[in-house]
Amino acid sequence: MRRLVAPVAVLTGTLFLAGCGSGDTRADSQAGSGAEVSVSGAYMPQPVSDSMAAGFLTVTNKGGTKDELTSVTSDVGEVTAHETVGSSMQEVKDLDVPAHGQLVFKSGGSHLMFEKLKRKPQQGEKVTVQLHFAESGTVTVEMPVKSATYNPKTGH
Amino acid sequence: MRKKTFAAAALLAAATLTLSACGSGEDSAQPVTVVSEEAGSDKAAIVLDKPFEKPDLVLTDTNGKKYDLRKETEGRPTLIYFGYTNCPDVCPLTMNNVAVAKKQLSKAQQDELRVVFVTTDPERDTASALGKWLKGIDPQVVGLTGDFDTIQAGARTLGITIEPPHKDKNGKVVSTHGTQVVAFSPKTDAGYVLYTEDATVDDYTKDLPKLIKGEKP
Repeated sequence: MRRLVAPVAVLTGTLFLAGCGSGDTRADSQAGSGAEVSVSGAYMPQPVSDSMAAGFLTVTNKGGTKDELTSVTSDVGEVTAHETVGSSMQEVKDLDVPAHGQLVFKSGGSHLMFEKLKRKPQQGEKVTVQLHFAESGTVTVEMPVKSATYNPKTGH
Repeated sequence: MRKKTFAAAALLAAATLTLSACGSGEDSAQPVTVVSEEAGSDKAAIVLDKPFEKPDLVLTDTNGKKYDLRKETEGRPTLIYFGYTNCPDVCPLTMNNVAVAKKQLSKAQQDELRVVFVTTDPERDTASALGKWLKGIDPQVVGLTGDFDTIQAGARTLGITIEPPHKDKNGKVVSTHGTQVVAFSPKTDAGYVLYTEDATVDDYTKDLPKLIKGEKP
């Protein structure tokens, strides 16, 4: 039996989540406690120019199976994930979202990097981002554009 | 006023605190501050017991003109940061934090303050690329580019280690930025306060009026 893993998200703030399992949901998903991913705390600091921007969010997996973030897409431009390895930043293809764990993108650590932007995202706008997971399919996130100095700890 | 004991050990720590590219350690909650721990204190600013001498850097500004750092900033409160413009996260955040705080000063104070951004990726950050980027942050910021070895040597005198940009396996350029902003006193021209990546707009807003007078934050 094919099983659609529906990421029923606990949403915070202005985060809006759409899309559940995509059309290519795997037929061979293991039965039982599958991955259960949700996304929170997404934001993009207003970038300096239209050439580059960063995005941050947290993926939480409440399920008993790990999932993997395989790619990220957006209509605003090209998106890649970067993490800090040792003393250098590296582009990464597949990022684990451990069972009962989190994948965190935050300032100073890992980030989503947006390049070749079609426009410069302005504070107050939202950027639509699709997160593609190996198990849970595609999750769409409306990422609010915050001020260039936005600090999620203080909320301003 | 707080004074933090911070000497040789801290210099050592500063020397090891460099970061490639766009991130810091895995958890950036407490990077530099461990060396200056003081409960409940302002952890963003570290007052140095042994201040840094201002680096003897002669580079090119965003107008393509020669800029002698010591000469141009003599007797001026000066903030120096090493970063690059193709940096999505920490570099623009750091510069914007400073810029937003600076805008809260009086016009006279803003004119007094020198904020200097030295590129760690001079090949891509030409004078004009740097100028364009800085205009998006604060047109008063002095942007400097030039020979990488000169920049690296200057950074090293402030305990900031940067590596030459290189290409990763995907052909993308990986650059390094410093982790701290160094504040130089208008009274002594010495670098006497470090700000870590944790420094927020509020931290700079609180401290800039003191830094402009050469006081300890």
